[in-house]
This record gives sequence, C-alpha cells and structure tokens, in this order.
Amino acid sequence: MYRKFLLILLILLVFSGCAKKSDVIKVGIAGPMTGDQAKMGMDFRNAVTVAVEEWNEKGGILGKKIELIIGDDQRDPKQAVAVANKFVNQDVVGVIGHFNSSCSIPASDIYNRAGIPMITPASTNPQLTDRGYKGVFRVCGRDDQQGNVAAQFVTSKLKVKKIAIIHDKTTYGQGLADEFKKAIGSSAEVVYYGGIVQGDKDFKTVLTVIKTKQPELIFFGGIYPEGGLLVKQAREIALKTPFMSGDGVIDPKFIEIAGAKDAEGTYLTFSPDPNNIPTAKAFIENYQKKFGELGPYSIYAYDAINIMLKAIESAGTTDGKVIIDKLYSMEFSGALGKIKFDNKGDVTIAPYVVWITKGGKFIEYWKP
Amino acid sequence: MFFQQILNGVTVGGVYALIALGYTMVYGILELINFAHGEIYMIGAYLGIIFIGIFTVIGLTQYSIPLAILLSFILSALFCSAYGFTIEKLAYKPLRKAPRLSPLISAIGVSIFLQNYVMLTQGATDKVFPHILETTKIEFFNLTITTLQVFIIITSLLLTGLLHLYVMKTKTGKAMRAVAQDKVMASLLGINIDRIISVTFIIGSGLAAVAGMMVAMYYGLVNYSIGYIAGIKAFAAAVLGGIGSIPGAMLGGFILGIVESLAASYLSSEYKDAYAFVILIIILLIKPRGLLGKSQ
Repeated sequence: MYRKFLLILLILLVFSGCAKKSDVIKVGIAGPMTGDQAKMGMDFRNAVTVAVEEWNEKGGILGKKIELIIGDDQRDPKQAVAVANKFVNQDVVGVIGHFNSSCSIPASDIYNRAGIPMITPASTNPQLTDRGYKGVFRVCGRDDQQGNVAAQFVTSKLKVKKIAIIHDKTTYGQGLADEFKKAIGSSAEVVYYGGIVQGDKDFKTVLTVIKTKQPELIFFGGIYPEGGLLVKQAREIALKTPFMSGDGVIDPKFIEIAGAKDAEGTYLTFSPDPNNIPTAKAFIENYQKKFGELGPYSIYAYDAINIMLKAIESAGTTDGKVIIDKLYSMEFSGALGKIKFDNKGDVTIAPYVVWITKGGKFIEYWKP
Repeated sequence: MFFQQILNGVTVGGVYALIALGYTMVYGILELINFAHGEIYMIGAYLGIIFIGIFTVIGLTQYSIPLAILLSFILSALFCSAYGFTIEKLAYKPLRKAPRLSPLISAIGVSIFLQNYVMLTQGATDKVFPHILETTKIEFFNLTITTLQVFIIITSLLLTGLLHLYVMKTKTGKAMRAVAQDKVMASLLGINIDRIISVTFIIGSGLAAVAGMMVAMYYGLVNYSIGYIAGIKAFAAAVLGGIGSIPGAMLGGFILGIVESLAASYLSSEYKDAYAFVILIIILLIKPRGLLGKSQ
C-alpha cells in the first residue's frame, strides 16, 4: 500500500513537472549579478530584459511566453558550475552567459553535456570555443584577435620597443596578455611579464619593479578595478609610461578609480562604438529609456538573446540539438549588424579597434 | 628599488599594525580572536566615504578640506567604536562563561553578518573615494613618496605610541593590564571588568576605523569584502609580534608589510598574499609566542 502510494506520488511529480514545462520557454541569463563585477551582470540582465519584453509583446515564441531565469555566478568558477547545474535542472532551453571566461569555460562543460546551447556576450578567451564543443557560441571577439590588434597598434602606431606586461592570473586576463605577447613577437622587447592577484588593492610593489625596467608601454590583461588602481598607483610613484589594456577595462568606473587626470591618454582595445552603428540605434534608445546609460556589453547581450530566440523560433522546437544546428547554419542581423557563426562557434567577423581615454570619456581612436 | 619597496611596505605595514592592535588587545583580555574586527575596519572605510560625501554636500570641503577629513576620521572612529561596543555586548558578553569555542563561532557569525549587512545596504559594487585630496609626490634620492603615505606612517606610529602610553600610564590602562593577567583577582580588587572590556573594544574599533579610512583614501577603492583579507593579515601580524603585546602588534605589522613588499618584488608578485602566512609559520616554529610575546 505504502509503496503504491509512493509510486503514485512519483508519477504525479513527473506530470506536475511536465505541466509546468509547457507553460513558458525558459532562457537562462548568467553573469556576476553581485560582487565587484556586479555592474557587468546587471548590464547583461537589463539588455536581455529589453529583448525579452519586445518578444513577449509580440506574443512570445512558439506560442509561449519567454521567462528569464537569472543565475548569479559572482565571477566565481565554482559558482558558475552551480548556476549551470541549476539551469539544467530547471529545463532551460538556452543560456546567455557567462561574463568571465573563467566561468564560461567550466559552465560550458555542463551545458554541452545537457545539450543546451549557450551564447556568451563577453567571454573572449580562445579556449572556450577551441575545445570542439557543439553548441558553445560567442557574439564577441576572441583574445587572439584582440591581442593581434593591440600588438599592431603598439608596433606600428606607437612604435615602442620595450614593453611591460601585467595580468590578473584569470583565464581572461592571462589569456589576453599571452596572446598580446605572442603577437608582439620579436618586434619589441618584453622587459617584464608577471601576474597580480585579482581583488588586491596594493600594486605599488609590482609597479616599482616595472619602473626600474624603464618600459615604454605597460600592457594589462584584466578587469577595470585592478586596471584603475594600476594607473592611479603608477602615477603616484611617478611612472608615467603609457598604459594599454583590453576590453575588460572599458567601464566608466575605470576612469573614476584612476581619476580623470591619471586615466587621460590610456589605450584599450574594444569593438567599435555602438553609437556609430546605424542598426543599433533603436536598441540604444529603448535601453536608455528603461535603464539609462548602456554598459559596454549591453548590446552584445541584446544580440545574443535575439539570436538565441530566433534560432528557437525557426527550429520550431525546444530540442537543443535542432536549435544548435540552426545557430550554426543561420545568418542573423542584430543591432551590431550581420552575425554568422563559424564551425567553432565564433563570429566570422570580429572587429576590434583601439580606444583612448580623453577628458574622462572613452573615444574610438585607431582602426587597424 | 630596495628602499622604495621598503617605503611601500612600511605604508601597508602601518595599516596592518593599526588593525592588529585591536586583535591583540581583545586577545590579551578575553583570549578571544575577534574575527569581526576586519569587518569593523571595512565599515570604517565606508563611513569615511559617507562622511566625506556629507561634508561635500554641506559645503565644508570647499571651506577646508583638512578639517573635513579630520572630522570624518573622528566621526568614523566614533561610529565604529559604537559598533565594537555593541558587538561585544550582544555577541560576546552572553557567552563569557561558555566554552572558548562558542564566542569564536559567534565572532565568525558577526563577521558574516556585517559583510552581508554592508553589501545589502551599500551595494555590491566598488565604492570610489572622492578625489578631493590632491596627492603631492615628494622625491628624494631617487625615491618617491606621497604625502598620504607619510600621513599613514606617522598616524599609525603616533596612535600606537599613544595607546602604549595609555595602557602603561593611566589608571584605566593599569586596570586593563590587571584584567588581562587575572580576571577574578582584578574583580576582587574592585575593578569593573565589564567596563574594562568595553573600553578595550571601543579603542580597538576606533583604531580599526582610522586604518579603514586611511586605506580608503590611499587606494581610493572600497568594497564590502576588503575586511576579510586585511583582517587575516593583521591577525597574522598580531601573532607574529606576540599576541597580547602592543609594541609586538606594531612590529608585526611593519615586518609583515615589508616582507610582503620585498618578496613580491624579488620573488614573484603572483603569490603576494601567501608570503604573510609563510612568515607566520616560520616564526611560530622558531618562537611560538611571537617576537615580543611573554613566555608563560
């Protein structure tokens, strides 16, 4: 009797699960929603919310409403894996995320096993798509492409001969620093190469060592809190060398931390200014009305979710395999322009340009 | 470069020393490692930013920036003293007769609570200290030091000196030493133990607040999690110098800062946080009671 009762209960549970599943289409959005990089996570979330509201107003997808499931990975790889498992258990159809490469890579193992497609708006480490997983995509560029553009700029425009390279030991930061170093090759001498600890606040020791090597440029692979402090503290010990970094630093907080005066003239590699892209205009206006100023990756998150939803729509099913096939074969036109994935899951055209900090603002500066 | 690194190390060491004082005083009297102490330091840093913000709004910073900063220091120290006082009354006093592990667990609980409390009320993102103070560089013999660094070093030395005098020369200080030696005997001689313990927490928290605000000014960046690593390192400094000893805490703080700085520059900067604990292990192996600790 007792056993029968348990069996009935189990069957009921299964059915209740099914009933809930068919109500809505769940899409996961993952990134650092709290912690020191919370702003990036919020940018994702806001952009994705804009897109989902647009779709739901038009009646949703496959006749169902879209529901966003938010996962907070706190920029911690362990937490990212927990978020990924949570998504799988909640029957998410597709995932937009994560932000940090160090989170996207372990999380992609889980999505790949579950057959769920993921599109990251911001993880640029080559490893993410180099491991041959089907269903792992990104709408941003790769660090090797980014490192190449930075190296081109340094050797052909700035024409420096001695470079110091610092990274924050994360997959993204060290990856970018390594790619940059590789691209520099023998055209300039790397006089210093070393890591710092993410979350640390005191970099004067490293900078003092660098100062004795007299480099003509400091390149930093990492995120804006450390970037801002590095610039500020370099100027404090009278190290006036030009400073260059990658897309992880492009955030107004960088200038706020370093101080507008010290940040003046620092370079960074990033994609072209969305304000100059005609297709982005509608999204930018809509976003600004709801959430204010755009974050650096808002537009990528917006395109990522739209691509995912379009693929689900044309697949006509929530079966991950069919959606993934559609993602590889279709060409999408988003706010950033035309996007097509190659067989690795990278975008076929990844434009990087060099920006400069001027008068407390980031300005597009140089095209390769 | 060697002397420049020593200078960098001494600045950081001064901050460690100020936080370490709080650990060492509380341990001396209660034999309790107050894990919430790092959080008091973090709250001090936040309060500094908040008060500077208030003074900017009411226009005091336009009138006199040094006055605004001084007032922020005092107010932040007062608020943190209140935090320290309250924490002791709520979280440690009811457990004074409990086994030694209980107040320790309570301290960890308070630490977690305060971190989350600040995260929820102040937000999870980094707060930037307003750039109101123009830092001037002083250059001599190829060395560069900012006025702020000088300020940090002098303040920490001065406060440690004052505290040492207070404990050695005043009546309350004498009572503190008596309580540290023997609580029962001290109470039999008419010393109000509760009062002495409160005073200890008030002074320690005030010093941590000063350290917090100096760090906020020096780095210009504060978030809710800075108390953890700073607290652990200051604790290492306190043990290094001999826990319970005030000059020891100062010595430990400076040694830790300098070793960290030199090791990061000559060995590798990637393991900067590890050196503090390597030193701690070595000292504990050779001199288990710390550099200036009393032998029992």
